[in-house]
Amino acid sequence: MKLEIGNFNVKNVMFGKTSSFKDGTLIINKEDALAIVFEDEHITEADIVLTKPGDSVRIVPVKEAIEPRFRLNGGPTFPGVTGKIERVGEGKAVALKNCSVLAVGKHWGSFGDGLIDMSGEGAKYTIFSKLNNICLVADTDEAFERHEQQKKNHALRWAAHRLAEYLGSIVKDMTPEETETYALDPITKRKEETKKLPSVVFVMQPQSQIEELGFNVLNYGWDTNRMLPTFMHPNEILDGAMIGASYMCASSKWSTYDFQNCPMIKTLYREHGKTVNFLGIIMSNLNVSLEQKERAAMFVQQMATSLGADAAIVTEEGYGNTDADFIECIKLLEEAGIKTVGMVNECTGSDGTSQPLAALDVAADAIVSCGNVSTLLELPAMETVIGELESLMRDGLSGGWEDDDELGPSVREDGSIIMANDSMFCGDSVLGQSIKTMKEF
Amino acid sequence: MNQLKKGILYLNQFFGQIGGEDKAGYEPTIQEGVVGAGMLLNNLLDDAEITHTLICGDNFMGSNESEAVEKILGYLEDKEFDIFFAGPAFQAGRYGNACGVICKAVKEKFNVPVITSMHKENPGVDMFKKDVFIFKGGDSAAKMRNDMTKMATFGNKVLKDEENKGAEAEGYFKRGIRLEVFLEDETPACERTMSMLLNKINDEPFVSELPIPELDRVPIAPAIELDGAKIALITSGGIVPVDNPDKIQSSSATRWGRYSIEGLERLGNRSDEAFKTIHAGYDPAAADADPNIVLPLDALRAYEKEGKIGSIHDYYYATVGTGTAEGEAKRMALEIIEHLKQDKVDAVILTSC
Repeated sequence: MKLEIGNFNVKNVMFGKTSSFKDGTLIINKEDALAIVFEDEHITEADIVLTKPGDSVRIVPVKEAIEPRFRLNGGPTFPGVTGKIERVGEGKAVALKNCSVLAVGKHWGSFGDGLIDMSGEGAKYTIFSKLNNICLVADTDEAFERHEQQKKNHALRWAAHRLAEYLGSIVKDMTPEETETYALDPITKRKEETKKLPSVVFVMQPQSQIEELGFNVLNYGWDTNRMLPTFMHPNEILDGAMIGASYMCASSKWSTYDFQNCPMIKTLYREHGKTVNFLGIIMSNLNVSLEQKERAAMFVQQMATSLGADAAIVTEEGYGNTDADFIECIKLLEEAGIKTVGMVNECTGSDGTSQPLAALDVAADAIVSCGNVSTLLELPAMETVIGELESLMRDGLSGGWEDDDELGPSVREDGSIIMANDSMFCGDSVLGQSIKTMKEF
Repeated sequence: MNQLKKGILYLNQFFGQIGGEDKAGYEPTIQEGVVGAGMLLNNLLDDAEITHTLICGDNFMGSNESEAVEKILGYLEDKEFDIFFAGPAFQAGRYGNACGVICKAVKEKFNVPVITSMHKENPGVDMFKKDVFIFKGGDSAAKMRNDMTKMATFGNKVLKDEENKGAEAEGYFKRGIRLEVFLEDETPACERTMSMLLNKINDEPFVSELPIPELDRVPIAPAIELDGAKIALITSGGIVPVDNPDKIQSSSATRWGRYSIEGLERLGNRSDEAFKTIHAGYDPAAADADPNIVLPLDALRAYEKEGKIGSIHDYYYATVGTGTAEGEAKRMALEIIEHLKQDKVDAVILTSC
């Protein structure tokens, strides 16, 4: 399978008469773009707000991030979301790099929503502060979940994906500045030299904890709660097969943008044929009951063994209950003689003294750690807020609170905030981008 | 020129030049300036001086600990100091214990940095490493200069407010405190993972970023006679009165609540405006429709009627377990236990979600 992504590096975004891209400047006709957003009658109010790195801007509640893309073979860019189910990962697509579409609540936040600061101390805690962000700020008529802590955020998330596809389409007839090529031969048809290298699978455990449909990560539009571990080509993940969830605490979250740009997959591609034979992805999940966890780990073990994996990398989108899936999976892989490294974030409490993962096992002897969900962040006010600042404390965001005996409320009258890293949007970049680690003090 | 910062040093009778084993019963004293090994420390400090030296016999501290601590804290009450040192204690068990005891007490009372040094076999290491910076020291006084240098170097750092680079880099025993840091070389996790994997594949050494800690397991309590027993219900499943009167957080909770169930046959649900769950770590639909599935009051009332148990305690206790730090959970449990003891509860059924 061969995928070519043609890149256009966005240096600047502005509104204008005609949507176009020239010399690094992306011009968006706001009316056209909003027309795409309002295709769903459940969107009641919407605006597009632009922000760039260095702005004194705070964005909250952020529900999803997507890299603008467009597939050139006629099928939808996000199968199951912006169109019917068609296979992705093969052929050509174009991408607007260095920018992302953010789905932002005009008022209402939910448990998994996050915060992004575009400058100052807070900016270093998320990679999204380094992108030109095209914020879709909207409200919907989804009254049934307005005052629920857990929201599916369906209308807003789907609208953001449509918008990302629309923006991608702006460059569909243009020649890309550079092209990334991702190709893997079928496992049994590889060069002898490659076959001799240690074979590696990448086991991904996306968020799937909610029994009710509509909250979890989607795989080709299919709710991963109802999925058993399955074998996938890495190109499918890079090319829009996986859609971010609307549940997991923000710093642990894998947004659609993170799937599209998965750093671990890119590193494995780079090493393929040099140091390892990259077999592909085992897409597992993180369901809540013990039986489901054991069944999933068993499937992963069997698949990795049948594929002939010598080594594996395992990563989870979550912490707490899901640590059991992460550890069980590593344990079974190690038991099968597959040398495994885990990639994860921790929950050691704001004072650092709590057990780092809810489940632990001596088999997990090689772990790369990406951050602490409980780190307390005290951040100064920003000149502008995109969204609604109160949502951080009012709407049950995982890292915000209404009141605390010692710390007071998360949002202060002067606009400064105190929050747990938990609500920093994709803050722990567990798919490989994190430059944080954990240390003993 | 900046004014010199002030430090105080604790030594045993031997290093404080009072005498050997025959003077191990020496009662604590305080002297102005430096004595014995304190000279070395004083010379190693950059912008600080040792203003006083405390000396106490190892046996005196061992057999009269509270008296010794009380005396020493009393001596310190009217002294100004920015930092406190003890030892180094090398492999001497009694001295190690004394250094640990006094450092911990000084830190609690005066909230200044406390620094000591011990050999890894010294029992004082395991007893006090969580509370005190204990530097990895030699096994005998031959290592005095080396050990004192480590203590002084870190002391200088603390006094200058320089960054603590972590237990490993600084050379003290791990205190069980794990915090996130940004890597100076900014190597992303995917590259760290790749090189760790290649090392593991090739049987080359690698260092896990999350060494598996020893688990703090609590043994299961012995069985009790249920006949006549008073049973309390506690849940970390977030079942609270609908208005959540104690504002318990729905994740990373630091609060708990105590709510009456006196006379209730079963818990009413969210639409009755009675009880609901505020736990953000699971799908609330089922628990909101019937909170008894998380806090099984209905089932326990049936047992009560059948005479299987004596009675149900009139209050239940609730908090939220998702993302809740283990340390916070322990603190909340200890607070709740006080109430349970007072109310003479015999056993607890603890439900999660």
